[in-house]
Amino acid sequence: MKNILEYVGIEPDRLHFSWISSAEAEKFQKTATQVCEAVRALGPAQHMIKDIRKVA
Amino acid sequence: MADKILAKDKLAEFIAALQKDKDVFAPKLDNDRLVWAPLEKADDIVWEFSNTEMSPKDFFFPQTECMMHFKNDPKAEDGMIMQAEPELAKERALLNIRPCDAKAFGVLDMIFCQDEMTNDVYWRDKREKTLLIGLACNDPCPTCFCTTVGCGPHNEAGLDVLLVDLGDKLLARPISDKGAKALSALPEAAADDAAKAAELKKAAEDSITQGVGTDKISGAEVLDLFNLPMWDRVHESCLNCGTCTFCCPTCHCFDIQDEVQGEAGRRVRNWDYCMSWLFTVHGTGHNPRHGKKERVRQRFMHKFKYIPLKRGGEIGCVGCGRCVQLCPVNIDVREVVNSMNA
Amino acid sequence: MENQEVAQKIQEVAKKLLSEGKVSCVIGFEKGTVPMRERPFFAYTPEEAERLTWTSFCCNNLANFLVRRDLGEAGKVAVVAQGCVSRNIVGLIKENQISREQVFVIGVPSPGMLDRRKVQAEVGAEKVITEVSEDGEDLIVKGKGFEERVPRKKVMRDNCYTCVQRNPVIVDELIGAETEPTHGGNIDKVSAPWEKLQADDRWAEFAENYQTCIRCYACRDACPLCYCHVCFVDEAQPQWCGKTQDESDVLTYHVLRAFHCAGRCTDCGACESACPMGIKVRRLTSKIEKDIREMYGYQAGMDLESKPPMSVYRPDDPQEFIK
Repeated sequence: MKNILEYVGIEPDRLHFSWISSAEAEKFQKTATQVCEAVRALGPAQHMIKDIRKVA
Repeated sequence: MADKILAKDKLAEFIAALQKDKDVFAPKLDNDRLVWAPLEKADDIVWEFSNTEMSPKDFFFPQTECMMHFKNDPKAEDGMIMQAEPELAKERALLNIRPCDAKAFGVLDMIFCQDEMTNDVYWRDKREKTLLIGLACNDPCPTCFCTTVGCGPHNEAGLDVLLVDLGDKLLARPISDKGAKALSALPEAAADDAAKAAELKKAAEDSITQGVGTDKISGAEVLDLFNLPMWDRVHESCLNCGTCTFCCPTCHCFDIQDEVQGEAGRRVRNWDYCMSWLFTVHGTGHNPRHGKKERVRQRFMHKFKYIPLKRGGEIGCVGCGRCVQLCPVNIDVREVVNSMNA
Repeated sequence: MENQEVAQKIQEVAKKLLSEGKVSCVIGFEKGTVPMRERPFFAYTPEEAERLTWTSFCCNNLANFLVRRDLGEAGKVAVVAQGCVSRNIVGLIKENQISREQVFVIGVPSPGMLDRRKVQAEVGAEKVITEVSEDGEDLIVKGKGFEERVPRKKVMRDNCYTCVQRNPVIVDELIGAETEPTHGGNIDKVSAPWEKLQADDRWAEFAENYQTCIRCYACRDACPLCYCHVCFVDEAQPQWCGKTQDESDVLTYHVLRAFHCAGRCTDCGACESACPMGIKVRRLTSKIEKDIREMYGYQAGMDLESKPPMSVYRPDDPQEFIK
């Protein structure tokens, strides 16, 4: 999935995968932060956006 | 109203006059596909073509059409008030539309605008503001069968003007008052021009040899047609895709959806198609047209029995042959209708 | 073997199977009503089997009809299959959609199927073609006022140039002799064509490629992998994908459909042949075929034994993307 999204021009950093056990609270917290930071760094998404306030 | 003559070297003037208050569109080649596109100048007009790949119905009935906007917020000043979509701002002219496609709009007028209560504002607005200048077919395709479904290569129904290509000039026949107005500056045609056009019409009509018979269908009971054993075979190869429906100038089914995003929302209608499982599935999960057979039967019964039954004999097919050409498994409407009529 | 001879052999085999009651139906092709459009045909009797034909325009994937029929009721059916179609039959068996015993494979080594749009472009888009016949390595294309010879090689379907398996992988009766396994084209040179571009250009090409899509779903409906009873685009509760012609809705459909075919696509080209708008669907799907081949060393449907990579876990599966 990540490959094909990258192939059509979507930034790979918008999609993250991780194995986290229910016992790994700390890993979950760290991963969530990393995901947020990575996506925030990319700025607003440019593609696959449908804004119904703007479409006629 | 008298026939007029439009010399091809006077086309630039004619187009410029149209463009004064209208957006003008015409068929154009785009990467080997014939599509409808804005026409800028007379030199860009294509004269030799069979027909556009898709029907021009989306000028009046776009595949996706917003019907209204709304704000889903009871407290806001403009909350819960439907905002109508703006009407078409500028008039349009479709130049060189084929007679079959124009006839189809006539059929659709009967369906979209039946009476005061059934009067589709979206369809009507665009129809009223569009001038249809047809180009008669002098050389129909092998898949054309218009003459056998109450239409024809020089058919006038639905058009404002019919053009007949006479080589270096066009015979321009006004059909409606709107059409006559658009032609008012042109000189009248000579008698032999009209005779030449009549000859071309006869030749074009005679060149259509393969068609459909509908005489027995019109006399038959609905249930007898519905239960014909032929339906058990027709659907076998059907993929249940939407190709035939979407390319068809008379197919007109749609699905209405509300789309919301936060508190903003819009109501939108999209083309839908009777070949699809989803088209008839109920909220309960029951689907009255549960199989391919039922869905395929519906399409042909609708066009050749139900519409004629309800619209004074008018057939819901104009014989453009697009579905014959584009169906991925070559289900040929002519064969199907002829077996219904057997 | 000439196509006509193949057609005759298919008819013979079909007649024998039907008259001996070995199968209830033979799924093959018959001549279409327009040139270059042979169409799926279901023969139930030896007489009907005489309508079966074989040309280079048999472009539908007949494995598709095996899952869209209730085989339980139909009993055993025979199906005409080239290399790719047989690979899809294998795929359906592996995915437990049909059993090997239910299908009699009439195998035909593929001559390389032809693209009617390329033929049309070759003689000119405005010309009306009325008859197309085959003469060895040439096509004879006729229409009003013209007759042209077009070399087959020039108008082959894109996927047939780079075919890696022209001969059927499972066969109950082979028509003619096995042929060269490939057409010589290098799949890696042409697949995933947008890979070499910058991200923005990749998106632009992707959006442009599907710009004319009318969402008729012919690509899905012609595909033997797309047998879900309810496709994700048809789901209403919840609705995963918008119904409009908005670019984001159209492209969501295509990217997700492609992804669902990962490890299963045989690159048979049925989607492209079915598309009424002539969209090059494989520019997207070939990326997935390529990735699966490179990452898992797997090509779909080549044999009945190997496990499909998306349905098994191996400790050495590529997993750099997982944190």
